[in-house]
Amino acid sequence: QETITVNIGSSHPEANIWVYAMKNTFQPEVNRILSENGNEYQVDWVEAYAGTLYKFTDTREAVMDGIVDVGMVGTVWEGANMPLQNVTYFTPFATEDHKMIIEIFDDLSENLPELRDSWAENGMVHLSSLITDSYDIYGTFPVATMADLQNRKLNAPGTSANWLQNTGATPVDGALTTYYTNIQTGVTEGTLSFASGILPTRVYEVAPELTRVGIGSMYFGGIAANKDFFDGLPEPVQAAMKEAAAATSVAHGDYVADLAARALDEMQAAGLTIHELPAEEKTKWVEGLPNIIEPWLEQTGDAGKVVLKAYFDALRERGATPLRNWDEGL
Amino acid sequence: MTTLTIGFILIALLIALVLLGMQIAYALFSVAFVGIWIIRDNLGLAFRMLELTAYSGIADYLFATIPLFVLMGLLVSVSNVGRDTFEVAEEVLRRMICGLGVATVAANTIFAAVTGVSIASAAVFTRVAVPEMTRHGYRPSFSAGTVAGSSVLGMLIPPSLLLIIYGVLAEVSIGGMFIAGILPGLMLAGGFVAMLVAITMLFPGFVLTDPEAVRERRLDTEIERMPLGTMAAKLIPIVALVILVLGGLYSGFFTPTEAGGIGAFGALIVALSRRSLDRHKLWQVMKQTGVISVSILLLLIAASFYSRMLSIAGLPNAIAGLVTDSGFGPLGFLFFYAVIILLMGMILDSTSILLIMVPIAAPIAQGMGIDLSHFGIVTVIAVEIGLLTPPFGISVFTVHNTLNDPNVSVEQIFAATLPFILVMLVVLVIVALIPATATVFLY
Amino acid sequence: MSEETAAQSDDAFVPRFSEAPFGAVLGSVAAVMSSVGTAWIGVLMALIVADVIGRNFLDAPITGVSEIAARSVVAIVFLQVAAAILQKRLTRADFLIRRLEGSSPKAVSLIETFFCLVGAAVFSLVLWASFPKFLDAWTTSEFFGVQGVFTIPTWPFRGITVLGSAVAALAALYRALEEIRTVRRLA
Ligand code: NA
Ligand code: NA
Repeated sequence: QETITVNIGSSHPEANIWVYAMKNTFQPEVNRILSENGNEYQVDWVEAYAGTLYKFTDTREAVMDGIVDVGMVGTVWEGANMPLQNVTYFTPFATEDHKMIIEIFDDLSENLPELRDSWAENGMVHLSSLITDSYDIYGTFPVATMADLQNRKLNAPGTSANWLQNTGATPVDGALTTYYTNIQTGVTEGTLSFASGILPTRVYEVAPELTRVGIGSMYFGGIAANKDFFDGLPEPVQAAMKEAAAATSVAHGDYVADLAARALDEMQAAGLTIHELPAEEKTKWVEGLPNIIEPWLEQTGDAGKVVLKAYFDALRERGATPLRNWDEGL
Repeated sequence: MTTLTIGFILIALLIALVLLGMQIAYALFSVAFVGIWIIRDNLGLAFRMLELTAYSGIADYLFATIPLFVLMGLLVSVSNVGRDTFEVAEEVLRRMICGLGVATVAANTIFAAVTGVSIASAAVFTRVAVPEMTRHGYRPSFSAGTVAGSSVLGMLIPPSLLLIIYGVLAEVSIGGMFIAGILPGLMLAGGFVAMLVAITMLFPGFVLTDPEAVRERRLDTEIERMPLGTMAAKLIPIVALVILVLGGLYSGFFTPTEAGGIGAFGALIVALSRRSLDRHKLWQVMKQTGVISVSILLLLIAASFYSRMLSIAGLPNAIAGLVTDSGFGPLGFLFFYAVIILLMGMILDSTSILLIMVPIAAPIAQGMGIDLSHFGIVTVIAVEIGLLTPPFGISVFTVHNTLNDPNVSVEQIFAATLPFILVMLVVLVIVALIPATATVFLY
Repeated sequence: MSEETAAQSDDAFVPRFSEAPFGAVLGSVAAVMSSVGTAWIGVLMALIVADVIGRNFLDAPITGVSEIAARSVVAIVFLQVAAAILQKRLTRADFLIRRLEGSSPKAVSLIETFFCLVGAAVFSLVLWASFPKFLDAWTTSEFFGVQGVFTIPTWPFRGITVLGSAVAALAALYRALEEIRTVRRLA
């Protein structure tokens, strides 16, 4: 029997939606598969979860540089080095079905050369997709018409700032950890966020009006292995990791679904009111957006066109109807 | 040898180098570099961790507030706002035993409401209070110790960088943390006052160079009183700054992180309006801000590198395991946790301790039913004690550095802060035992 | 006033060119970099104030302030660290050293030499580790921010880390040489 040491880690704690399945599915699954296959190999896991080794801004470099062998990589923070993976953030209102996003990106990251190579160029092997559930508005006010958004300040960090263009709302930077204080003190009047992420922040206490907009579920990143490390593993261990990764994707999707449902229940019990943005208002929002995919296409060139097309084809193949055809004219 | 053993040896090596007098940043960097290299048997990894930490270890809006809080402190100092606050406190407390010491604590308490880092308070009041205390017969080392000791109030009374960092790490409301810090902060100030009075009565030799002269001055009725109008005029700027910083914070004009920038700007306006600042002087203040900030920030980078090495050694996990296995109740856990923080406070800076401990301990605490705001205040008080404990006590270093007096040694200041540490320990125990001290205004 | 004297000693770390040409050039470079870092702190303050005012009164926040501030703080450190080394302003607990100074100044200088060499080594390591990342950032036009919202290239920031650690390593080395000279003189 051979023991292989695997350093596994993340910038976020174990309870985080993107880390949960690493610890609770990936690791035990690898162990289980290896022991069922004759116990020839055994993994000694060295865990460094919760950002004790690196910060969220460094998830790509940490895996690429071998600081951990397997890690959660937030491509959402890697707009410069891994822009292709961020296609969902530039194509809002595509689908609210987060399990579909997992399925699509597990497939594309493995089989679409542009995406697979992008992981390889960054010294990594993609194992399992990570996503968010659909984005909505958690605010101090309900949104019945687009006019309600006029002159409102909403936390919308990073790429999500794009989604507020032409809505009349002002995007304000922030992070899950700052929303509560920002809203409580009036720095902002709400935030764009998703149920599974917002529950632990207790934002509903200060922003008790949830307007379901359905901006969509987003591809957040992946669980990935360092490429040199992975290539150096014995074949059975590689196979075990791939198999465990598939199970991890399923577990991640289920966990987010459960958590989102539980979050909505708990938040409602705590006084959250849920509103639905009327379809015609949503259409106004979607159609009023400028062509926000443009700068992304300029940056990513031909590869970007391929990824965008493959993503939208995959969406429609699975029965989704994106509210705006961002791939139009490709 | 297990990695854990190596980890402990490296801690011992660090302490030895620091005691020998090596620049603390150098010691942290070099020990951590060698540590990662040995533990993982991988030189390349040590290099990559070093690069990552140097480039992004402190690349955070939170840390950008440090130079701004320092700048605010120095601007307040040149425009004599700190001195005026101190003078009013001195006047009001003239008849009190150890009046100047108490005045230092009082002025620090007010000043704490505008500054977010303790070292800013330490730098300002070293300039303002130490010369005044020395002039009036207090021991220079005791004066310096009083300034270092009372500077910790800056981190407990809002705004506070440490409370911000804790709020971020533990995912609790930063605004809530600020409120939770108020009462324990005031308890601490009250404790300091009681201690100063008691110690002056019991051991006048520890406090004063010439107890008789001080007594005479205290009882002298001939001295001209400061008119109330003058007092009010002297207090206007600090009151305006408190209103700007706390008012702006709680009315939503800016976030806790932005308070440093706004506060510095407010202090600049105050300084300009008092005509205490020409272009040359402003540049000198800015340069000093740079010098003070860079030594702190470099330390933070180095400490963050060091804490990553400890994490590679498996120390945080070992501690978490120890706590879980021990079967402590909430109180036992709090006690154990505080002791570990106190030990870490001897060798690490406040931010690194929070970065190492809070992600491990907060979930455990929550699981035991401890309120996370309460837990945060216990954490911050324990961490703050580390600002005063040797061999690495940054408040003491700041006072020593700013004072720049060859007759007052670092270890003399450390000795003089001992009574303050005792008061902090007492307050720590009280706050740990009575959660309401932190949460009473919260829920 | 203590401020004035402190301010004067701040500039006093640059030796005359005729006496120590290497030290003079190094000191001047460090002083210029330190001034840029100093000015940057002021810019940071202005940026935050502008963002707060823009957001509250003009509905026009400045995008990317938090990212810019985050990167700035690192730049400020590496711009100023060399000057801090030359001014001997890095934090340390020097009680043992000062106790030794009276009895054995030569031993003190030897220890100081060792510390300075460690410092030079540390910054050389940072330089060595950071340089490839700087080249990478340059060739791949790495940026931070968000396409279509705001993007800022990272190479200037990585460049400052490289430049700052290079000058800091030289500064520490220069200090080591000075200490060695003291040892020789005492011998
Ligand atoms: Na404060
Ligand atoms: Na300490």
